Amino acid sequence: MKETPSLRWTVIGCCGLIVTLTTGCARWIEIRATADSSQEPSVQVIARNEQVPLVLDDVDITRNGSPQNLSLETEQRVLGTLRKTGLFSRLGGTDSAEPPASEKFIRARLLFDEAIDSHAGDAAWKGIVISASMFILTPFIPLEYDYAAHVTLELERWDGQVKRYESQSAGTAHYQLFGTTPLMIDELKGHVTESCLTALLQQMVLDTTFYAASSAPVLDRPIRSVSVNSKRSTLTPVSISTSSGK
Amino acid sequence: MLVFIFLITLMAALCSPIHAADPKSQITVGTQEVGLTAGYILPHLLKGEGKSKTEQSGLAFMPSWMMTVTDPVGDGWYRGQVSFGGEMVYIQFQEPFLTHGVGFTPKIKYTFSAQDRIRPYAEFAGGPFWTDLAGKIPEQSGQFNFILTAGFGVSYFLTDRAALNAGYRFQHISNAHTSRSNVGLNSSLPYAGFSFYY
Repeated sequence: MKETPSLRWTVIGCCGLIVTLTTGCARWIEIRATADSSQEPSVQVIARNEQVPLVLDDVDITRNGSPQNLSLETEQRVLGTLRKTGLFSRLGGTDSAEPPASEKFIRARLLFDEAIDSHAGDAAWKGIVISASMFILTPFIPLEYDYAAHVTLELERWDGQVKRYESQSAGTAHYQLFGTTPLMIDELKGHVTESCLTALLQQMVLDTTFYAASSAPVLDRPIRSVSVNSKRSTLTPVSISTSSGK
Repeated sequence: MLVFIFLITLMAALCSPIHAADPKSQITVGTQEVGLTAGYILPHLLKGEGKSKTEQSGLAFMPSWMMTVTDPVGDGWYRGQVSFGGEMVYIQFQEPFLTHGVGFTPKIKYTFSAQDRIRPYAEFAGGPFWTDLAGKIPEQSGQFNFILTAGFGVSYFLTDRAALNAGYRFQHISNAHTSRSNVGLNSSLPYAGFSFYY
């Protein structure tokens, strides 16, 4: 029996549709990891009586240079990663009370600087081309979303000595139009953050002895180091008039 | 009638105690939107020799799907997001004859996101359109046509995942000279609808 041309075109059309929908939903994440972030952070075993508590004093998050609200998720993630090292007896978040000054503890400050580039212009032009082709070009035109993070962790020992660790990582999510989902962006951010924290802890565990309780005595008048930065304000000064009422 | 229904719905929404949980932060890259829009097309008659004389009018229904492909860009009043997607167009022409039209149009939309709950947008769509009105009127002889749409509207976010929309579109239907007679039909389309984001 000879097949009709309409049947042939229907089969070709269905195959084309399946291929377009399947490949048009593809997505993958590429992480440009730092040199020392490929390994899991080393877990240090130190005597229990040598462990001191760590309190997260401050978490600063900036995105493309703009300050952001504190993210509890980020804080929990950092604390979780610090817990893995086994260096500290107890970990406290920004909302937990500091131990008394007479006790040995580590005060931590975290600066999380994110850079996001959603390639808006690129996505717009590619979207126009994809739409103009009635979505036929969807599998052949990938879109990109870049995310980079630079993390700085400052750990201040009870005697005022400060150790500073830095790490950075970046990644790109490549995706086709039909494969776009907010989960993909979350996955990208998760991988980059993990890469940064792993690199950070790799550096930190090299200073294990620095955080041991016997490494330094408690000072009678502990020196509290405070970072003071004078930032150039980008805001227009607002004049404020006050009246004393006298 | 549709405008009246929309105004009642909008008034009810504005008076409702529901407050959006900062929709600004919810619509990100990958957020999808499904919506249904309905309106009534009104003819645009262009004066002059060889111009359209048919006064076509009728109901239009437009279910749509959109994908947000950018985070908000820009810092001023023009801050907004780009989304792409497709829309089915069904028109029931009631004048001059009871006929039907159906089409599929890829669509691009720019949503101004400087405001939280009220977000204006501009949109453009175009694609193939089949109608049996053609052949019964002198302007269009072939049933296979194209429909081009450009317009603007406003979304009012009831919650961070649901919005009411209202706007205006200009529509042009012609066959791109795929058949002999191709004067084209132009119309205005005031519309209202709703969208869900996920």
